[in-house]
Amino acid sequence: MSNLITLKPRISANQGIPSIPIRTTLDNSTTVQYAGLLHQLTVKAKSTVRDIDPQNDLTFLRIRSKKHEIMVAPDKEYLLIVIQNPCE
Amino acid sequence: MATSAQPGLLGLAGSAGGEALATNGTASAEGPERPGPLQDETLGVVSVPSQWRGVQGIRGETKSCQTASIATAEASVQARKHVDAEVQTEVPEPVSLPSVPRYNGPRLAAFLRKVEAMVTRELNKNWQSHAFDGFEVNWAEQQQTVTCLHTLSYPPAQEQGLHVTGVSWNTTGSVVACAYGRLDDGDWSTLKSFVCTWNLDRRGLNPQQPSAVVEVPSAVMCLAFHPTQPSHMAGGLYSGEVLVWDAGRPEDPLLWRTGLTDDTHTDPVYQVVWLPEPRHSRRFQLLSVAADGKVLLWQGVGAGRLQLSAGFALAVQQLPRNTKLKKPSRGETEVGATAVAFSSFDPSLFVLGTEGGFPLKCSLAAEEAAVTRMPSSLPLRAPAQFTFAPHGGPVYSVSCSPFHRNLFLSAGTDGHVHLYSMLQAQPLTSLQLSHKYLFAVRWSPVRPLVFAAASGAGDVQLFDLQKSSQRPTVSVKQTEDESPVYCLEFNCQQTQLLAAGDAKGTVKVWQLSSEFTEQGARETERLDQLASEVAS
Repeated sequence: MSNLITLKPRISANQGIPSIPIRTTLDNSTTVQYAGLLHQLTVKAKSTVRDIDPQNDLTFLRIRSKKHEIMVAPDKEYLLIVIQNPCE
Repeated sequence: MATSAQPGLLGLAGSAGGEALATNGTASAEGPERPGPLQDETLGVVSVPSQWRGVQGIRGETKSCQTASIATAEASVQARKHVDAEVQTEVPEPVSLPSVPRYNGPRLAAFLRKVEAMVTRELNKNWQSHAFDGFEVNWAEQQQTVTCLHTLSYPPAQEQGLHVTGVSWNTTGSVVACAYGRLDDGDWSTLKSFVCTWNLDRRGLNPQQPSAVVEVPSAVMCLAFHPTQPSHMAGGLYSGEVLVWDAGRPEDPLLWRTGLTDDTHTDPVYQVVWLPEPRHSRRFQLLSVAADGKVLLWQGVGAGRLQLSAGFALAVQQLPRNTKLKKPSRGETEVGATAVAFSSFDPSLFVLGTEGGFPLKCSLAAEEAAVTRMPSSLPLRAPAQFTFAPHGGPVYSVSCSPFHRNLFLSAGTDGHVHLYSMLQAQPLTSLQLSHKYLFAVRWSPVRPLVFAAASGAGDVQLFDLQKSSQRPTVSVKQTEDESPVYCLEFNCQQTQLLAAGDAKGTVKVWQLSSEFTEQGARETERLDQLASEVAS
């Protein structure tokens, strides 16, 4: 089982700027790719949850794919992304 | 006797002229005295004037023509205002991760503390979870069986009884080309053969009419499309030449040729492969492998000629002695090479299949000079570094796995497919697929445990090592009368397509069922397991 962790801040003032990774155990290009794509997905998930129930908010996002599982812990300023190879 | 015919004697002129022709200049006009059959004779000049042209006179008429006068007008144009503007590009700033984290600090630490417990809990839950066991999602429409999408053929080639000796897909995956030749001829033949391409994406595809046909003066034994140019293809001929054609130019498709020099092969070329040039990664050079034991690298120089840039020769005395081989008969020093496959992980490492039945591990960087009597403009080197245990007959095809750096397959005339690891001489497993020869074996480009083999009994067999290691998962019959299937290639762009060419001169494009096109979970690990489990 290999865990790969990246950490990035989210600049909430301007939605146009993609997330900038701070710390990562992956290579640069993959990290930048994951950061941009998952940031957009997190924003969409958060707005979905808020639309359904305005009192509610997104706490955790998990995406399971054939090859691994991606977990995103969102926050006001930061985003923590963990990619895990599940063992079956 | 005068031999001019009068214009008026239309009926008799023919016969009179005939009699005049029968006599010779020296004998008299009576009786057709013919000289003996083997003696020299000279005949006078014979002229047969036209009979009808005198009847028609020449008529002439005078005609003239004149174009109407051209109307002209003058007008002037002047730009009134102009504006100056300047454009300047700026040097783009490279996107890079800040090496020193700018946001380090108490806020980051607080965030991490807050989030850590939750994430660790989820990670542990996942590790032990059985929630998704056996849960599989299918996004694409499932194809249950292997079906034949197209049956392509070129009737003039089929009439000559030519076999399909090579198929290749181009770099975009939309064009399939096939080479015609004969694989069972023992003698030198001046058979004209063809290379045909079909564009499968085009509407109104006529399976009997290729999009492009190139006529070739000798039988073509192998074919390979260029890795980046969608219309360039290289072929090796029975005569030992290597040619490169451009299928997009129907009036003059030949681009490069090796010609018949001292450097060219003296035996049929069994396989050609495009390799990236060591210094310019965008340009490619050609590697050709032939039965005379030479492996040659060609580069295109001006005026359409391919020039030898490096060469290797196999000699029995220089084969590595780590495996016991049969003693060669006296006088034989060359080892004919019949197939080549390059490793996807190490670009200078390649595997050669030989007529002796043993695959060889070779390297482009080998330094030792080859012992050979063949003349050559460049010194030839001995490439072999390791000899693997032999098959029961010549090896016709080798294929390196695109997912594992050490595994490769070889198929030979003994009907067996051997799975070898580069690290040991004995094969990891040996599968008997057919009682007849096996002509081609290829790993699937998407599923690490699947390969396809073309057999002499007329069927294409697909093997899935995950399901069964003894029997083929699917076996499709390509020819009704069991004539052999000579070649097959997977399409790397449209991974559900497989093209196979047979001895009846047809190319069938098979659409594979979904189980062969989608990678399951953990297949790469299974392949690693397989590679290490039988290692001694």
